[in-house]
This record gives sequence, structure tokens and C-alpha cells, in this order.
Amino acid sequence: MENEQFGPPAAEQIYTLNLGPQHPSTHGVLRILLDLDGEFIVKADPIIGYGHRGHEKMGENRLYRQFLPNTSRMDYLSGMLYNHGFVLAVEKLAGIDVPERARYIRVIASELNRISSHLLWFGTYLLDLGGFTPFLYAFDDREQILDILDRVSGSRLTYAYCRFGGVTRDVDAGFVDMTRAFLKRMEGRWADYENLVTKNIIFIKRTKDIGVIDRELARQYGVTGPNLRACGVRFDVRKAEPYEIYDRFDFEVPVCFNGDALDRYKVRFLEMLQSCRIIDQALDHLPQGPFQTEKIPLKIKPPKGEVYFPFESARGLTAYYLVSDGGTNPYRCHIRVPSFGNLNVINDVLPDTLIADAISILGSMDVIIPEIDR
Amino acid sequence: MDEKVRQRGPGEPAIQFALLDDMLNLARANSLWPMTFGLACCAIEMMAAGAARFDLDRIGAGVFRPSPRQSDVMIVAGTISRKMAPAVQMLWDQMPNPKWCIAMGNCAISGGPFEYEGQYAIVPGAHLIIPVDIVIPGCPPRPEALIQGLLALEDKITRGEDRNLLRRFRRVRKEGSQ
Amino acid sequence: MKADEMEKALREEFPGALFAVDESGRNGVRYSVLIALSGMRKAAQILNAAGFFLETITALDFSDTFELVYHFNCYEPKSRIALRALCGKDQTPSSLVDTFRGAGWLEREVHDFFGISFSGNPDMRSLLLPEDADYHPLLKSFGKSGDSHKREDIYGK
Repeated sequence: MENEQFGPPAAEQIYTLNLGPQHPSTHGVLRILLDLDGEFIVKADPIIGYGHRGHEKMGENRLYRQFLPNTSRMDYLSGMLYNHGFVLAVEKLAGIDVPERARYIRVIASELNRISSHLLWFGTYLLDLGGFTPFLYAFDDREQILDILDRVSGSRLTYAYCRFGGVTRDVDAGFVDMTRAFLKRMEGRWADYENLVTKNIIFIKRTKDIGVIDRELARQYGVTGPNLRACGVRFDVRKAEPYEIYDRFDFEVPVCFNGDALDRYKVRFLEMLQSCRIIDQALDHLPQGPFQTEKIPLKIKPPKGEVYFPFESARGLTAYYLVSDGGTNPYRCHIRVPSFGNLNVINDVLPDTLIADAISILGSMDVIIPEIDR
Repeated sequence: MDEKVRQRGPGEPAIQFALLDDMLNLARANSLWPMTFGLACCAIEMMAAGAARFDLDRIGAGVFRPSPRQSDVMIVAGTISRKMAPAVQMLWDQMPNPKWCIAMGNCAISGGPFEYEGQYAIVPGAHLIIPVDIVIPGCPPRPEALIQGLLALEDKITRGEDRNLLRRFRRVRKEGSQ
Repeated sequence: MKADEMEKALREEFPGALFAVDESGRNGVRYSVLIALSGMRKAAQILNAAGFFLETITALDFSDTFELVYHFNCYEPKSRIALRALCGKDQTPSSLVDTFRGAGWLEREVHDFFGISFSGNPDMRSLLLPEDADYHPLLKSFGKSGDSHKREDIYGK
């Protein structure tokens, strides 16, 4: 029955819902225009750029050393990894040597940061799904990592710890003890999480077969990282193109095969265990010696040329593309960010899902908006 | 009187009852409801401040509300990009009076590390679009700093000060009060 | 390895292309191929059929020309291929969005930053900049700019 006042009946009406840019489940400042048919999403149009800060322009305007603190502010959850990658890229471009001890310290710090990033994701994802308690547990564990990193780098979140030719300061026995204590503590925690969350029937119902990405779709959009490994592709830059000293460690690349939200959760969970393994081995073999190369000039002048340096951040394949004109700052500084493809894919994943599942899918992708916007 | 009226924010009553106001201010100060609203890095520290170790509930500011209409403190946590600025302003306008604003982190104070000559992407400072009561420096500020900022805001509210005056960032007691 | 097969296929398809081979992977890219702008779609289709994915698209702003750089990779070790093409300041490259669905956003980003429009991309709204932005920040002429070079200053002839 047509009602003049209310327009045509609801069944024929497509309703546009504006999700964000301020929304607790969009993890920052993402905005998505959802066309809804009842509870089902017909079309999703993510609008990004609300966190655009012009990192790439700053890269061109600043010295290599000045741009270093920016890198950890791009993806602030895995700042150490971004830092590490940038330092490696510039070292490759300028041909700077790094002492062994610094390499091990960097790997330990990076892997700790990877765990803290995944823990934060773990907490907030379950918060999105309606469970508040895991959030407090995850943050409690995360604080232990931040204490360790705070001790060596002086910062809780946005580090500038890795420097060209080494790290800012040496680690002491206290650092080693704290890290070992953390690994010991987590052994018990993983079992808790497994029992409380992974086997929780409500959690499984919210995530199983939700937001399935198949291999072809992932390839089309350039999805990388845990999201890709959840579709059964065993691709990790740490294994495919071992940078730093990752080829010396014995670790596995966990994969799952369904490509749904539950598998993305499982892959990240298993990755944290593997990171613990890497840290454990690195601590065993931590060599003595200098932690910095002497005489790195303040204004690095790499020779003309370019470098494309890929590394595995907590969210996937990240790469710095630096073009040097022989001057003190890069001619072009481009950053390939993993969340870009990981978010782009929801254009094809969200349609025909329920709006309640959209939050679950979005959370399971683990996107960081300021990283996409740069 | 004229001076008072000019400093008063919009929507505040012209006639004020001293004791009742004091009581209301005390109530407001100790049940701040911040908005769940993160822009960048600082939002993570804001979450950390609300989580297990720091626990904002201890000072009555732990009830994060996702809707501007239910909250009375806006913590601007992160860089305000030019694209985001209208949205931030709209969120501020949607909040009911009385409301307060905390600029958390260097980006929200002055643009922080992203302010440079020829910069095109950000609004250098939350004060340019909304009135700011408390600023918390740091990049990002530690959760302890956020707690101190909230305590400073609580002091300010308790004393019923007109908002948006520049003031020193520390807890001070008015002379004569206990 | 797929990358070597692709090298052969690309050499056959583009006899005039300039190849830079880097077996050691010092610069992270195994094969860097400079082709004509008009051949980009064809090259992308070849790589797509072989199971490569598009990592990123970016541009370089030289004083005489733009250069578009497409990085492709597949899930094998050290098989990154960079396709490069010179793009005149007023040229309109064709979009890869029908080959790689993820290319749409990357092209929008390049359009935002450099003002290069891609023909065939159905959605050329600005991605990162505000909707009404009329500036292209990564041009060397924008803002407090650094030196602008000719392409041959950096890459040689």
C-alpha cells in the first residue's frame, strides 16, 4: 500500500547509511557509505583520507634522519616495524653497515612490537564483537611489552629506536630478563585466550564463514599479510625475501584455508606464537659487541638511484620506495601500505552481508586508517 | 557583569545560583563522560588509559560514550586533517552543554610534527575550530599525562571557572578553599 | 620461476623495452622494465594471467616528464617486477582497473597527488584529499619544493 507521507514501501527502498568518520568500530576515521536493503548491504563505498597528513610530501622535504620519526606515526601500532623498515631501506640505499648485535636487538624489538600490535587488534576486535573483558586482558599483556620497549627506546608507542647503522641505545641484562619473563607469562596466557575466546561458541558464530575472501579476490586487490595467509597463501616477506637476519631463525608461517574472519583471527593468533619463537631464539644468540656503527653523518647523502624495500609489518607487505638524487633528502618517498589493499577489498566483500557482520568483517581486517591515508 | 556575560559560553544561564551551581559543578566534574573518538596515535594511548593498568574509572571519567549526544568531554586525540575538520566541528556542535574539550597530543595543540612550511593536509591545532579547555603535550602523551589532564579539567569544573581561559597546566587550589 | 617466464614473455611482447635485471635483489626489484605508456595495459594483462598481483602504483615528477611506476609481485621469492613508463605532462594513461580491481584506488591516489587522470577508470573522485581539493601536493612545484630534476639527471640516459 502506497503511503504518500512515507514514500514507497520499504522493500523497494535502498537506504543509505553513513558509517563514520566517527564511529567506534571503524578504528579511527574511516567512513563507509553503505547502501542497505533492509539489513543487507547492497553496496559499500569506503571514503578515506580523513587521516591524511602528507607523509610523502614530508619525506621529500626532510632529511632522511628527520623523516625517521614520521615512520612510526604512520602505522602507530607497529611503529617499530615501520622504523625498522625505513632504516633498512636507507641503509641499503646508502650502503651503511650494521653491527650484529644491533641486528638482533632490532629483530627482538620488532617482533615484540608485532605481538603488541596483534594483541591490541585482538582486544579491540573482540570489543567490536561485544566482549569487553578480552580487551582488558589484552591491554594488560600489551602493557608488559610497552614496558620493555619503553625501557630501551624511551617511548611507549611512537618509537624512533632503530637508527641508521644501529639502534639508539644498547639493551642491558634487565631487558633480556623482562623479555624472558614476558615470554614465560604469555605461555599461560595463550592457553587462556584459546579456552576463553577461540573456543567460545558466540565468537565462532559471529566469525565463521563471515567475510570470506578467496585467493583470487585477494590477488586482485593486492591483499597481503595475515588476511592473505588466511586464504591459504603461504606468503610472508620474512620468508620470501628475508631481510635483516630473519633467515637465521626457525619459524613457521601459519596459514588457514577458509579466508573468513575466524581464520584471520586464527592466523594472527598463531603468528604471535611464532613471534615468541623468534624472540626466544634471538635472545639465545644475542651477540656481544657494538650496537651502533661509528661515524654516520648527520646528513646522509646516498648515491643517485632508487630502492624498493619490502618488509613484513604487522598488517602485511609494506615497502618503502625511495628515489635519491644524490642530495640530503629523497627525491621521492613513497610508501606501499598493506592496509590499502586490505581495506580496498571490502568493496567486494561487504555486499550481500548483514550490517551486523560488516563490523565483524571490518574488525577482522585489522586496518589502520592513518596508515592508508599517510 | 558585562565581563562575565561576555566570557560565558553560549547556552549557559545568565542567572546563577551559587551553592546549587557549586554542587552541580562538583557532580559534573566527577562524572565526566568522554567521547569515544580517536583520530590517530593518541587514541591508542587514550584506550590504554581506559584499560586495565591506568583505569580512568578511578577518577570518574571512564565511561566512554560513542555518541556525542551522551558525552560531555571531547578528547581530541590525534591529528585533525583538513578533510576531518568539518566532522570534528560537527561532533562538537552535537554535544550538549555543558561541554569541555581536551586537546591531547602535539598534533591537536599545534599540528605537532606535521606542521611545516608549505604543509597542506592538516589543521594546526584544535583551538582553530573548537574552544579548548586543557592541552596535554606529548607525542603521544602517556596515559599518566591524560589522567593529569583530566584531573586538571576536573579542578577547573569544580571551581566553576569560565572556560577557555589560558591557564597553567597543573593542579592548583584556589586560595581559601580547602 | 614465474619472474623469469614473465621476462621472456615481456621481451617477446615489447622488443623495444629497456630491461634492468637485478638478480641479487639489491634494489628489491628483480626486473625493471621501461615500456611505452600505451603498452602498459597489455603488459599488465600478461602479468595478471600469470598470477601476479599489483603492489603499488606511483609516479615520479621530473621537470620534463612524469614517470609511472607499477610494482608487481607474485607469491614466490624475489620475483618483483617493476613496469615503468614515461608519461608526458599532458598525457592520459589508460586505467588497469579492469585487469586488477585494486588498481582503481591506487590510480585515484596518483591522481590526487600528481593530477594524472586515468582514462577508463569509472571513479576518479579524490581519494585522500578533500573532495573540493584543487591542488596536487606531490608535484615539485607545490609548496616549499625541493629541486626539480630532469629524468636523465637521476637515471642516466
